[in-house]
Amino acid sequence: MNSKDFIKLNNDMREKLSEENKEIYEDMLVYIRLSGNKSEQQTEEVLFELLEHLLEAQKEGKSARDVFGNDFKKYCDELIAEIPGEERSFALVFGGYIVLYFLGILSTFYGLGNFLIHQFFDVGSSDYTFSIGSGITVVILDLLILSGFIIFVLRWLKNSTFKVKKPNKWVEFLRLWLISMIFIGATVGIPIIMPSFGSEITIPVLSFAIVGIIFFIISFILNKKFRITK
Amino acid sequence: MSLRSQLLKGVLEGCILSIINRQSTYGYELSVRLQEFGLSDVSEGSIYPILLRLQKEKLIEGTMQKSDLGPKRKYYHLTEDGQHALREFMEQWENIKLPVDNILNKGGETD
Repeated sequence: MNSKDFIKLNNDMREKLSEENKEIYEDMLVYIRLSGNKSEQQTEEVLFELLEHLLEAQKEGKSARDVFGNDFKKYCDELIAEIPGEERSFALVFGGYIVLYFLGILSTFYGLGNFLIHQFFDVGSSDYTFSIGSGITVVILDLLILSGFIIFVLRWLKNSTFKVKKPNKWVEFLRLWLISMIFIGATVGIPIIMPSFGSEITIPVLSFAIVGIIFFIISFILNKKFRITK
Repeated sequence: MSLRSQLLKGVLEGCILSIINRQSTYGYELSVRLQEFGLSDVSEGSIYPILLRLQKEKLIEGTMQKSDLGPKRKYYHLTEDGQHALREFMEQWENIKLPVDNILNKGGETD
Protein backbone atom coordinates (compact mmCIF):
# COMPACT_ATOMS: atom_id res chain seq x y z
CA MET A 1 0.00 0.00 0.00
CA ASN A 2 1.24 3.42 -0.98
CA SER A 3 1.18 6.33 1.48
CA LYS A 4 -1.70 7.86 -0.48
CA ASP A 5 -3.78 4.72 0.04
CA PHE A 6 -3.10 4.95 3.77
CA ILE A 7 -4.21 8.58 3.80
CA LYS A 8 -7.49 7.66 2.12
CA LEU A 9 -8.12 4.78 4.49
CA ASN A 10 -7.21 6.99 7.43
CA ASN A 11 -9.71 9.65 6.32
CA ASP A 12 -12.52 7.10 6.27
CA MET A 13 -11.65 5.33 9.49
CA ARG A 14 -11.10 8.51 11.47
CA GLU A 15 -14.82 9.17 11.33
CA LYS A 16 -15.39 6.27 13.72
CA LEU A 17 -13.55 8.05 16.53
CA SER A 18 -15.47 9.70 19.32
CA GLU A 19 -15.44 13.47 19.26
CA GLU A 20 -12.88 13.83 22.04
CA ASN A 21 -10.56 11.16 20.67
CA LYS A 22 -10.87 12.56 17.17
CA GLU A 23 -9.83 16.01 18.24
CA ILE A 24 -6.71 14.67 19.95
CA TYR A 25 -5.90 12.22 17.16
CA GLU A 26 -6.19 14.88 14.46
CA ASP A 27 -3.88 17.18 16.37
CA MET A 28 -1.35 14.35 16.58
CA LEU A 29 -1.80 13.64 12.90
CA VAL A 30 -1.15 17.24 11.85
CA TYR A 31 1.80 17.53 14.22
CA ILE A 32 3.42 14.31 13.02
CA ARG A 33 2.72 14.92 9.32
CA LEU A 34 4.35 18.34 9.54
CA SER A 35 7.44 17.05 11.29
CA GLY A 36 9.70 17.84 8.37
CA ASN A 37 11.65 15.66 6.04
CA LYS A 38 10.34 12.27 7.21
CA SER A 39 9.48 9.28 5.06
CA GLU A 40 5.87 9.79 4.05
CA GLN A 41 5.32 6.05 3.74
CA GLN A 42 6.54 5.31 7.29
CA THR A 43 4.69 8.32 8.67
CA GLU A 44 1.36 7.25 7.20
CA GLU A 45 1.86 3.64 8.24
CA VAL A 46 2.43 4.53 11.86
CA LEU A 47 -0.42 7.06 11.85
CA PHE A 48 -2.68 4.30 10.57
CA GLU A 49 -1.49 1.96 13.33
CA LEU A 50 -2.14 4.59 15.98
CA LEU A 51 -5.64 5.12 14.60
CA GLU A 52 -6.42 1.40 14.64
CA HIS A 53 -5.12 1.13 18.17
CA LEU A 54 -7.19 4.06 19.32
CA LEU A 55 -10.31 2.61 17.70
CA GLU A 56 -9.76 -0.73 19.46
CA ALA A 57 -9.12 1.04 22.76
CA GLN A 58 -12.22 3.15 22.27
CA LYS A 59 -14.31 -0.04 22.05
CA GLU A 60 -13.10 -0.87 25.53
CA GLY A 61 -13.99 2.55 26.83
CA LYS A 62 -10.42 3.85 26.94
CA SER A 63 -9.50 7.38 25.94
CA ALA A 64 -6.60 8.76 23.94
CA ARG A 65 -5.03 9.74 27.24
CA ASP A 66 -5.03 6.10 28.40
CA VAL A 67 -3.27 5.02 25.23
CA PHE A 68 -0.77 7.80 24.56
CA GLY A 69 -0.21 9.24 28.02
CA ASN A 70 -0.90 12.77 29.16
CA ASP A 71 1.68 14.65 27.15
CA PHE A 72 0.65 14.16 23.53
CA LYS A 73 3.27 16.47 22.15
CA LYS A 74 6.05 14.62 23.92
CA TYR A 75 4.67 11.30 22.73
CA CYS A 76 4.59 12.57 19.14
CA ASP A 77 8.17 13.84 19.44
CA GLU A 78 9.25 10.38 20.61
CA LEU A 79 7.59 8.85 17.55
CA ILE A 80 8.96 11.43 15.12
CA ALA A 81 12.48 10.81 16.39
CA GLU A 82 12.17 7.18 15.27
CA ILE A 83 10.60 7.77 11.84
CA PRO A 84 13.28 7.42 9.16
CA GLY A 85 13.99 10.40 6.89
CA GLU A 86 12.63 10.70 3.39
CA GLU A 87 14.86 9.29 0.71
CA ARG A 88 16.96 11.98 -0.90
CA SER A 89 15.85 11.08 -4.41
CA PHE A 90 12.18 11.48 -3.53
CA ALA A 91 12.81 14.75 -1.71
CA LEU A 92 14.49 16.03 -4.89
CA VAL A 93 11.57 14.92 -7.08
CA PHE A 94 9.16 16.58 -4.68
CA GLY A 95 11.15 19.83 -4.65
CA GLY A 96 11.40 19.75 -8.44
CA TYR A 97 7.66 19.21 -8.71
CA ILE A 98 6.89 22.29 -6.57
CA VAL A 99 9.38 24.48 -8.45
CA LEU A 100 8.08 23.43 -11.88
CA TYR A 101 4.48 23.83 -10.85
CA PHE A 102 5.06 27.28 -9.38
CA LEU A 103 7.09 28.54 -12.34
CA GLY A 104 4.55 26.94 -14.68
CA ILE A 105 1.71 28.96 -13.20
CA LEU A 106 3.67 32.22 -13.17
CA SER A 107 5.02 31.81 -16.67
CA THR A 108 1.75 30.69 -18.27
CA PHE A 109 -0.31 33.50 -16.80
CA TYR A 110 2.32 36.09 -17.49
CA GLY A 111 2.75 35.05 -21.12
CA LEU A 112 -0.91 34.50 -21.87
CA GLY A 113 -2.03 37.62 -20.01
CA ASN A 114 0.36 39.97 -21.76
CA PHE A 115 -0.35 38.37 -25.11
CA LEU A 116 -4.12 38.74 -24.77
CA ILE A 117 -3.87 42.30 -23.47
CA HIS A 118 -1.76 43.20 -26.47
CA GLN A 119 -4.09 41.43 -28.92
CA PHE A 120 -7.35 42.93 -27.68
CA PHE A 121 -6.43 46.28 -26.18
CA ASP A 122 -3.24 47.04 -28.03
CA VAL A 123 -1.48 47.71 -24.74
CA GLY A 124 2.13 46.68 -24.25
CA SER A 125 4.04 44.67 -26.78
CA SER A 126 3.90 41.18 -28.20
CA ASP A 127 7.63 40.99 -27.66
CA TYR A 128 9.36 40.95 -24.35
CA THR A 129 12.84 42.21 -23.73
CA PHE A 130 14.70 41.19 -20.63
CA SER A 131 18.26 40.84 -19.42
CA ILE A 132 19.50 37.37 -18.68
CA GLY A 133 21.27 38.35 -15.44
CA SER A 134 18.32 40.02 -13.77
CA GLY A 135 15.91 37.44 -15.21
CA ILE A 136 17.71 34.58 -13.50
CA THR A 137 18.03 36.59 -10.28
CA VAL A 138 14.28 37.26 -10.25
CA VAL A 139 13.47 33.56 -10.66
CA ILE A 140 15.84 32.58 -7.85
CA LEU A 141 14.49 35.29 -5.52
CA ASP A 142 10.90 34.27 -6.24
CA LEU A 143 11.74 30.64 -5.47
CA LEU A 144 13.39 31.68 -2.20
CA ILE A 145 10.28 33.67 -1.26
CA LEU A 146 8.12 30.67 -2.13
CA SER A 147 10.16 28.35 0.09
CA GLY A 148 10.03 30.91 2.90
CA PHE A 149 6.27 31.11 2.53
CA ILE A 150 5.85 27.31 2.55
CA ILE A 151 8.06 26.93 5.62
CA PHE A 152 6.13 29.66 7.40
CA VAL A 153 2.71 28.11 6.67
CA LEU A 154 3.87 24.63 7.75
CA ARG A 155 5.30 25.98 11.03
CA TRP A 156 2.17 27.95 11.62
CA LEU A 157 -0.01 24.86 11.11
CA LYS A 158 2.22 22.80 13.36
CA ASN A 159 2.04 25.41 16.11
CA SER A 160 -1.74 25.41 15.92
CA THR A 161 -1.90 21.84 17.31
CA PHE A 162 -2.49 20.85 20.95
CA LYS A 163 -3.92 24.24 21.88
CA VAL A 164 -6.20 24.10 24.89
CA LYS A 165 -7.69 27.45 24.04
CA LYS A 166 -8.70 27.65 20.38
CA PRO A 167 -7.55 30.94 18.84
CA ASN A 168 -10.02 33.38 17.32
CA LYS A 169 -10.81 32.30 13.77
CA TRP A 170 -10.92 35.83 12.39
CA VAL A 171 -7.60 36.84 13.90
CA GLU A 172 -6.06 33.69 12.45
CA PHE A 173 -7.64 34.38 9.07
CA LEU A 174 -6.40 37.98 9.00
CA ARG A 175 -2.89 36.92 9.93
CA LEU A 176 -2.75 34.34 7.18
CA TRP A 177 -4.31 36.78 4.71
CA LEU A 178 -1.69 39.39 5.52
CA ILE A 179 1.16 36.92 5.10
CA SER A 180 -0.29 35.72 1.79
CA MET A 181 -0.59 39.31 0.54
CA ILE A 182 3.03 39.99 1.44
CA PHE A 183 4.03 36.79 -0.36
CA ILE A 184 2.09 37.60 -3.54
CA GLY A 185 3.20 41.23 -3.45
CA ALA A 186 6.86 40.26 -3.13
CA THR A 187 6.59 37.65 -5.90
CA VAL A 188 5.05 40.12 -8.32
CA GLY A 189 6.99 43.16 -7.11
CA ILE A 190 10.51 41.82 -7.41
CA PRO A 191 10.54 41.66 -11.25
CA ILE A 192 9.24 45.25 -11.32
CA ILE A 193 11.86 46.78 -9.04
CA MET A 194 14.75 44.59 -10.19
CA PRO A 195 17.26 46.72 -12.16
CA SER A 196 18.28 45.05 -15.40
CA PHE A 197 21.79 43.80 -15.85
CA GLY A 198 23.43 41.30 -18.17
CA SER A 199 22.92 41.05 -21.92
CA GLU A 200 19.42 41.69 -23.22
CA ILE A 201 17.37 39.36 -25.36
CA THR A 202 13.97 39.81 -26.98
CA ILE A 203 11.47 36.99 -27.31
CA PRO A 204 7.76 36.88 -28.19
CA VAL A 205 5.82 37.22 -24.94
CA LEU A 206 3.72 34.18 -25.83
CA SER A 207 6.80 31.96 -25.44
CA PHE A 208 6.44 32.43 -21.67
CA ALA A 209 3.11 30.65 -21.89
CA ILE A 210 4.62 27.85 -23.96
CA VAL A 211 7.47 27.35 -21.46
CA GLY A 212 4.91 27.51 -18.63
CA ILE A 213 2.76 24.81 -20.22
CA ILE A 214 5.81 22.61 -20.76
CA PHE A 215 6.63 23.00 -17.04
CA PHE A 216 3.05 22.06 -16.22
CA ILE A 217 3.23 18.94 -18.34
CA ILE A 218 6.51 17.86 -16.74
CA SER A 219 5.13 18.42 -13.24
CA PHE A 220 1.99 16.51 -14.20
CA ILE A 221 4.07 13.56 -15.41
CA LEU A 222 6.20 13.67 -12.25
CA ASN A 223 3.06 13.63 -10.15
CA LYS A 224 1.60 10.66 -12.08
CA LYS A 225 4.80 8.71 -11.96
CA PHE A 226 5.78 9.28 -8.32
CA ARG A 227 2.29 9.76 -6.88
CA ILE A 228 3.25 13.04 -5.27
CA THR A 229 -0.21 14.36 -4.47
CA LYS A 230 -2.58 11.47 -5.21
CA MET B 1 6.11 3.98 34.32
CA SER B 2 8.13 6.35 32.22
CA LEU B 3 9.94 4.97 29.25
CA ARG B 4 12.75 7.40 29.78
CA SER B 5 14.43 4.60 31.65
CA GLN B 6 16.98 3.11 29.28
CA LEU B 7 16.83 -0.21 31.12
CA LEU B 8 13.12 -0.60 30.54
CA LYS B 9 13.48 0.39 26.90
CA GLY B 10 16.00 -2.33 26.28
CA VAL B 11 14.02 -4.96 28.16
CA LEU B 12 10.81 -4.00 26.38
CA GLU B 13 12.56 -4.30 23.04
CA GLY B 14 13.61 -7.82 23.92
CA CYS B 15 10.09 -8.74 25.04
CA ILE B 16 8.56 -7.35 21.84
CA LEU B 17 11.02 -9.32 19.71
CA SER B 18 10.17 -12.46 21.63
CA ILE B 19 6.39 -12.04 21.26
CA ILE B 20 6.66 -11.27 17.55
CA ASN B 21 8.95 -14.26 17.11
CA ARG B 22 6.34 -16.62 18.53
CA GLN B 23 3.63 -15.35 16.21
CA SER B 24 3.48 -12.48 13.77
CA THR B 25 1.30 -9.83 15.32
CA TYR B 26 0.03 -6.26 14.97
CA GLY B 27 0.35 -3.25 17.25
CA TYR B 28 -2.81 -3.51 19.29
CA GLU B 29 -2.52 -7.25 19.83
CA LEU B 30 1.08 -6.80 20.88
CA SER B 31 0.13 -4.31 23.57
CA VAL B 32 -2.58 -6.69 24.82
CA ARG B 33 -0.02 -9.53 25.03
CA LEU B 34 2.40 -7.37 26.99
CA GLN B 35 -0.33 -6.53 29.45
CA GLU B 36 -1.40 -10.18 29.74
CA PHE B 37 2.15 -11.00 30.70
CA GLY B 38 1.90 -8.45 33.48
CA LEU B 39 3.62 -5.43 31.99
CA SER B 40 0.46 -3.49 32.63
CA ASP B 41 2.19 -0.28 33.69
CA VAL B 42 3.70 0.23 30.27
CA SER B 43 1.52 2.76 28.50
CA GLU B 44 0.03 1.19 25.39
CA GLY B 45 1.30 3.80 22.99
CA SER B 46 4.91 3.35 24.02
CA ILE B 47 5.30 0.28 21.82
CA TYR B 48 5.05 2.32 18.60
CA PRO B 49 8.30 4.27 18.92
CA ILE B 50 9.96 0.93 19.69
CA LEU B 51 8.36 -0.77 16.69
CA LEU B 52 9.59 2.07 14.50
CA ARG B 53 13.10 1.72 15.85
CA LEU B 54 13.13 -2.06 15.39
CA GLN B 55 12.02 -1.54 11.79
CA LYS B 56 14.71 1.04 11.23
CA GLU B 57 17.30 -1.41 12.54
CA LYS B 58 15.78 -4.03 10.20
CA LEU B 59 15.09 -6.42 13.08
CA ILE B 60 11.40 -6.63 12.20
CA GLU B 61 9.35 -6.09 9.07
CA GLY B 62 5.74 -5.17 8.72
CA THR B 63 3.34 -6.31 6.01
CA MET B 64 -0.24 -5.26 5.48
CA GLN B 65 -2.57 -8.22 5.82
CA LYS B 66 -6.29 -8.53 5.96
CA SER B 67 -7.42 -9.78 9.34
CA ASP B 68 -10.22 -12.32 9.72
CA LEU B 69 -12.75 -9.68 10.45
CA GLY B 70 -12.26 -6.00 10.11
CA PRO B 71 -9.73 -3.88 8.32
CA LYS B 72 -6.22 -4.44 7.07
CA ARG B 73 -3.52 -4.50 9.68
CA LYS B 74 0.21 -4.23 9.75
CA TYR B 75 1.56 -7.57 10.95
CA TYR B 76 5.14 -7.72 12.12
CA HIS B 77 7.55 -10.60 11.79
CA LEU B 78 11.20 -11.01 12.70
CA THR B 79 13.95 -10.76 10.12
CA GLU B 80 17.06 -12.90 10.33
CA ASP B 81 18.83 -10.02 12.07
CA GLY B 82 15.90 -9.85 14.45
CA GLN B 83 16.24 -13.54 15.37
CA HIS B 84 19.90 -12.97 16.00
CA ALA B 85 19.18 -9.93 18.17
CA LEU B 86 16.59 -11.90 20.13
CA ARG B 87 19.06 -14.73 20.85
CA GLU B 88 21.60 -12.17 21.96
CA PHE B 89 19.08 -10.49 24.25
CA MET B 90 18.12 -13.84 25.81
CA GLU B 91 21.75 -14.70 26.48
CA GLN B 92 22.45 -11.33 28.04
CA TRP B 93 19.30 -11.53 30.10
CA GLU B 94 20.24 -14.98 31.39
CA ASN B 95 23.64 -13.65 32.35
CA ILE B 96 22.41 -10.70 34.38
CA LYS B 97 19.09 -12.01 35.70
CA LEU B 98 20.49 -14.05 38.58
CA PRO B 99 23.32 -11.76 39.65
CA VAL B 100 20.98 -8.74 39.69
CA ASP B 101 18.37 -10.65 41.68
CA ASN B 102 21.03 -11.74 44.15
CA ILE B 103 22.44 -8.27 44.53
CA LEU B 104 18.99 -6.77 45.06
CA ASN B 105 18.04 -9.46 47.59
CA LYS B 106 21.34 -9.11 49.46
CA GLY B 107 20.78 -5.41 49.54
CA GLY B 108 17.41 -6.12 51.14
CA GLU B 109 18.95 -8.38 53.81
CA THR B 110 21.58 -5.96 55.04
CA ASP B 111 19.06 -3.15 55.48
